[in-house]
Amino acid sequence: MKAFEYAAPTTVDAALKLLGGPNAAALAGGTDLLGRAKDYVTSPDRVVYVKEIKELGGITGDAKSGMTLGAATPLSEIVHHSGIREAYPALWQATSEIGSIQIRNMSTVGGNLLQRPRCWYFRAGFGLLGMKDGQSLVRAGDNRYHAIFQTDGDALFVSPSSLAVALIALDASAKVRGPKGERTVKVEELYRVPRREGESELTVEPGELLTHVMIPAAGKNGAYEARQKQAQDWPLVMSAVNLTMQGDTISKARVVIYGVAPIPWRSEAAERVLVGKKFSPEVAAEAGTAAVEAARPLSMNAYKVPMTRTVVKRALIRAVQGKGYWEEG
Amino acid sequence: MTEQKPRDPGGLGGQSRRDFLRGSGVAAATAVLTGQAAGVLDEAQAAEESTKVLSGTVEITLKVNGQERSCEVEPRSTLLDTLRNRLDVTGPKRVCDRGSCGACSAIVDGELVYSCTTLAVSCQGKTIETLESFETGEGSVPHAFHQNDGLMCGYCTPGFVTACKAYLDKHPNATEEEIRKGIDGNICRCGTYVGVLAAAKAAAQAKKGA
Amino acid sequence: MAEWPASPSVIGKRIPRLDGLLKASGKAKYPSDVHPKGLLFGAMLYSPHAHAKVKSIDTKTAEKLPGVKAVLVIAGPGTTLRYHGDDIAAVAAETEEQARDAIRAIKIEYDVLPHVVTEAQSMAEGAPEVFKGGNVKKGRGQTKGKPEDAMASAAATIEATYTVPMITHVCLETHGLTVGLEGEKKATAWASTQNVYGIAGDLAQALELDRGDVTVYTEFMGGGFGSKFNADVWGTTAAKLSKMAGGRPVKMFLDREQEHCAAGNRPSATAHIKMGADREGKIVSVIAEGHSTGGVGNGTNMILPYVYRGVPHYSVGQANALTNRGGSRAMRAPNHPQSCILTEAAVDDLAEKLGMDPLEFRLKNLDPGSPMTPIYQAEIPIGAELIGWREKRKPRGKTGTGPIRTGLGMALHTWGGGGNPGKQVSCTIHPDGSVDIKTATQDIGTGARTILAMIAAEILGLQPTEINSLIGNSSYPPGQPSGGSTTTPTMAPPCYDAVTKARDALFKKVASAFNNARPEDLSLKQGQLWAGGEPVASWKEACRKLGTSPISVTGEFVDGLSSTGVGGCQFAEVSVDLETGEVKVKKIVAIQDSGLILDLLTWESQVYGGVIMGLNYGLFEEVVMDPTSGRMLNPDMEWYKLAGASDIPEIVVRAYSPPDEKGRQVIGVGEPPTISTAAAIGNAVSNAIGVRVTEWPMSPRNVLNALATASREGRA
Ligand SMILES: Cc1cc2nc3c(=O)[nH]c(=O)nc-3n(C[C@H](O)[C@H](O)[C@H](O)COP(=O)(O)OP(=O)(O)OC[C@H]3O[C@@H](n4cnc5c(N)ncnc54)[C@H](O)[C@@H]3O)c2cc1C
Ligand code: SF4
Ligand code: FES
Ligand code: FES
Repeated sequence: MKAFEYAAPTTVDAALKLLGGPNAAALAGGTDLLGRAKDYVTSPDRVVYVKEIKELGGITGDAKSGMTLGAATPLSEIVHHSGIREAYPALWQATSEIGSIQIRNMSTVGGNLLQRPRCWYFRAGFGLLGMKDGQSLVRAGDNRYHAIFQTDGDALFVSPSSLAVALIALDASAKVRGPKGERTVKVEELYRVPRREGESELTVEPGELLTHVMIPAAGKNGAYEARQKQAQDWPLVMSAVNLTMQGDTISKARVVIYGVAPIPWRSEAAERVLVGKKFSPEVAAEAGTAAVEAARPLSMNAYKVPMTRTVVKRALIRAVQGKGYWEEG
Repeated sequence: MTEQKPRDPGGLGGQSRRDFLRGSGVAAATAVLTGQAAGVLDEAQAAEESTKVLSGTVEITLKVNGQERSCEVEPRSTLLDTLRNRLDVTGPKRVCDRGSCGACSAIVDGELVYSCTTLAVSCQGKTIETLESFETGEGSVPHAFHQNDGLMCGYCTPGFVTACKAYLDKHPNATEEEIRKGIDGNICRCGTYVGVLAAAKAAAQAKKGA
Repeated sequence: MAEWPASPSVIGKRIPRLDGLLKASGKAKYPSDVHPKGLLFGAMLYSPHAHAKVKSIDTKTAEKLPGVKAVLVIAGPGTTLRYHGDDIAAVAAETEEQARDAIRAIKIEYDVLPHVVTEAQSMAEGAPEVFKGGNVKKGRGQTKGKPEDAMASAAATIEATYTVPMITHVCLETHGLTVGLEGEKKATAWASTQNVYGIAGDLAQALELDRGDVTVYTEFMGGGFGSKFNADVWGTTAAKLSKMAGGRPVKMFLDREQEHCAAGNRPSATAHIKMGADREGKIVSVIAEGHSTGGVGNGTNMILPYVYRGVPHYSVGQANALTNRGGSRAMRAPNHPQSCILTEAAVDDLAEKLGMDPLEFRLKNLDPGSPMTPIYQAEIPIGAELIGWREKRKPRGKTGTGPIRTGLGMALHTWGGGGNPGKQVSCTIHPDGSVDIKTATQDIGTGARTILAMIAAEILGLQPTEINSLIGNSSYPPGQPSGGSTTTPTMAPPCYDAVTKARDALFKKVASAFNNARPEDLSLKQGQLWAGGEPVASWKEACRKLGTSPISVTGEFVDGLSSTGVGGCQFAEVSVDLETGEVKVKKIVAIQDSGLILDLLTWESQVYGGVIMGLNYGLFEEVVMDPTSGRMLNPDMEWYKLAGASDIPEIVVRAYSPPDEKGRQVIGVGEPPTISTAAAIGNAVSNAIGVRVTEWPMSPRNVLNALATASREGRA
């Protein structure tokens, strides 16, 4: 880790000023930033600690009118929030599966959304696209954890945030403040597919702070993930879904998938299958199948295709029926 | 390996000192930093908020296991390295140094955290507890680990003891399933989990009995 | 021949470790914890490349950085670096942050050379050479009988390629030591080692001192598993840095990345196996061709067909493919886990092909010439009962219709272990009644310290807590390196010998003080000295009669107390999600033969620990190498996956110790229980899902791939 300056402001305004200089980085829980700094993947000259800023903390609102999460709210607060558990099971389930108790105590909503990809080529210093001498290390190498969608492009890493997948399914927005003022964007707009090395996968600019996330009232929602370990582990594939029902019929559907693309992957193909139908496990299975139609896996991750099909199906069943056919007892 | 700069700087212009820092290699940066011993600098910009910008070597005071302890750190010094290297509090261990194994677990303001991924400067004014401060008599978590052989080489043990204690303090009626989840942020290579779980259950039982 | 007491009062009981509370309270000081006065922090610079020549190295900037006290180049210009993690240079500085900065300030120009990091790369035609003379070394081949002819006549045959990846030891305390010099002539080190006695020699050599001038302490150490027998480059480098810094102690412990890359591995193993059996279910022939890599070190020595050596015809060929990756080191039961997986998978597949219960099939094929056979014959039914084999096991693939399938699997293993003569233990009985046991061995987590105290306590009629079990000091009588499950069987006999002799000397000296008893009339139990069936004095009173001279005796190895050769079997019950490939192990049953058990509590921990290490091997672990950059991609504890609490199944452990003469002697148990777990898990997975997963670990990827291949080929 390179040496840096440090400040711990208590207001957003002060933080923005401190972040205004070159090569400054916000520090929240540190679970991502400090790891990157130790690996010399990111070497800020100044670190601005945002967890002392009261305006960035807390969870407010209710199921009916929607809820707002402060960006510096620790993930553990979401897990302990009974209102969220009831209104937004997708968010609750996704969050409770993140890392460990320690990780959830430390890391924050903003930090989770703006964490950088975990791609092992990126973390070894080969850049976000993992190129060496003009060749994609990812394509030629070990891409078991990489993308299966949009693999004709150069960005083959997967977006790391579990939270983003749930929040996008819930149609949440984010408030971002910078030197030029405040803007509100959809959470999905926080992400983009970088086209060349040096371009970020995040749209939040240096010097800006994510301050709040607003979640509107939601339909039937839920999440499901597949992973290798039961204890602390990253999802291989995860999906969060949110269905607006009119009677028995699905009038609106949002299906978002983790672990399959450089951005949280919204599956319009799956959504199209669902809208206008009565829910049933068969319809869920159809949606799962539709979700992977456009998948083009890399050399080592074809397994993610059947896994994604299942994960989408199960997220839908869990959202609507609670318990699933795969659960014991 | 190529080193990545964070994204293009935007917004306000930098100060000369920062430019110097940014443009310099490790050598110059370190020279500057240590050149300003205990440099606690007031930034003009932040002055109105009276936010201190710490750089170089700074003297901090941490409340560790009930004692106020002062030492010199750098802003980048982790809580773990500060405890171990500067304060001789060596219960927490450095194992992965990346927030994945739990060996460095400590309790900060009542919350279980990985001290390897926490900056010492951010812990000023907070209460830091490591397992050295835990009761060790009958009914305590360390005692239960000992009696149930929840340890072998013992290097992961401080982290497990700390995680168990933190979890049981908050969830005295936890089931075995919940206890497992409660300590899933810790890894043992010797494979002591059977003893660890027996210890956790025994400690929980003792707590209820007490 | 010496003999263990027939009705012991301490041995065989559940005795908590003497140092357990120190460890559980964070007060135990490990070599990485000590902080001698004037301590400097060391850091290593290691190769980012898999293969490169150092063109130039410039340490000037680094040397001038604040806090830097010494910089040492290990790989000067012209040196070839052979793997990611290979040592280049080292620094000692006032703070650890400064040491790391200095490492990064060392400027190096490399000639990057072409590398081979996978077996395929290594074995390819015209591949770049790791060392001069070719990458592929033929290993020990064996032929018995006429395997080809026998295969041709077999009623049923199988043929498949099974693969086990390379893994690393992942000692939680990384390799390293803290070392300082006093004057020119004396050095003190605190080393994380399995060989406190031997390391003193390594350091003495590096410092050009006599062995006796170096004292090494290993009071505690955070795991070795076979990888910590030498001081290594970083250890001797730390000693040299200390010398350069005027003797100030230097703490040098590897970071996790270098630990993974450079500090040892268990080699991979792949074997193409043909196996045939006759109509009765007797294996008649095995033809195996294997290859493996241990990086720049030895590959796996595949012992095929493992415990089924009674097979009349077999041929085994194997090759070690050198790769640009740190070299292998012994790891918990070297060569056995791989050999067990490769053999037991094929055996299972052949049983399946014959439509036989794999348990019966194994019983049929035990080697009639092996002393282990009666042991397996006794153990297998016990394990089968505990896992519920008869009620629960269904033929492969006939495990139901839902997405979650459960399956059972089993495997057998064997190991040597045993004690070696040549090591010593001293016993001192002081006039105040305190007892010191001293030997230069170490407790790597096995409970060696406690076991020595238990032996002494048994003989002296005391409690283990009343014995000072002093180990982890190289100046003590030469003790055993902790390897090959030999520590306990090697150290128990000299300990027994020393304490017995000390006791007898005590009897001789004090007998006359108790009604003129003869020494042969005296005995010790329950903390008392007994004469002719009566307690005559407390232990302390008895010792007081020694006056001012303590008794001090050095014990040697004696025959009759330790033995070698164990057999064991394990059973696994797993559930597999056919749709996601996720595997959960529900239960493991481990039946372990291990002779006389000294401490039942730590014995069980050893077996649990072995099983859990095997579970990691079965489900999670693998070193991932990048073919293009040559780097290890997962030198961490995040993508190098290891079980946490929620991954641990119910584990049922049973000792199998029949009351014959072997059951009365000590055999180590560090390694055997880790051998067959991964094989049993793999077999259980295949049983559950109906197809063989030929690649370990049983990750969702490997499981889904196996299912996809089978369905492509119309098998499932
Ligand atoms: C072992 C392990 C397992 C994990 N498993 C999962 C998982 O399953 N799913 C998952 O989603 N994550 C997982 N994580 C990642 C973890 O959740 C993230 O590291 C964490 O959420 C990041 O939050 P933080 O507050 O610690 O962020 P920090 O590390 O403090 O910051 C992360 C990034 O966000 C920026 N930032 C932080 N806050 C703001 C803000 N308010 N405005 C602008 N920029 C900001 C920082 O500058 C930095 O670049 C895992 C991590 C580990 C170590
Ligand atoms: S005992 Fe075995 S594991 Fe241990 S060191 Fe050895 S060979 Fe290895
Ligand atoms: S050392 Fe902090 S989590 Fe591993
Ligand atoms: S006791 Fe050795 S790592 Fe847990």
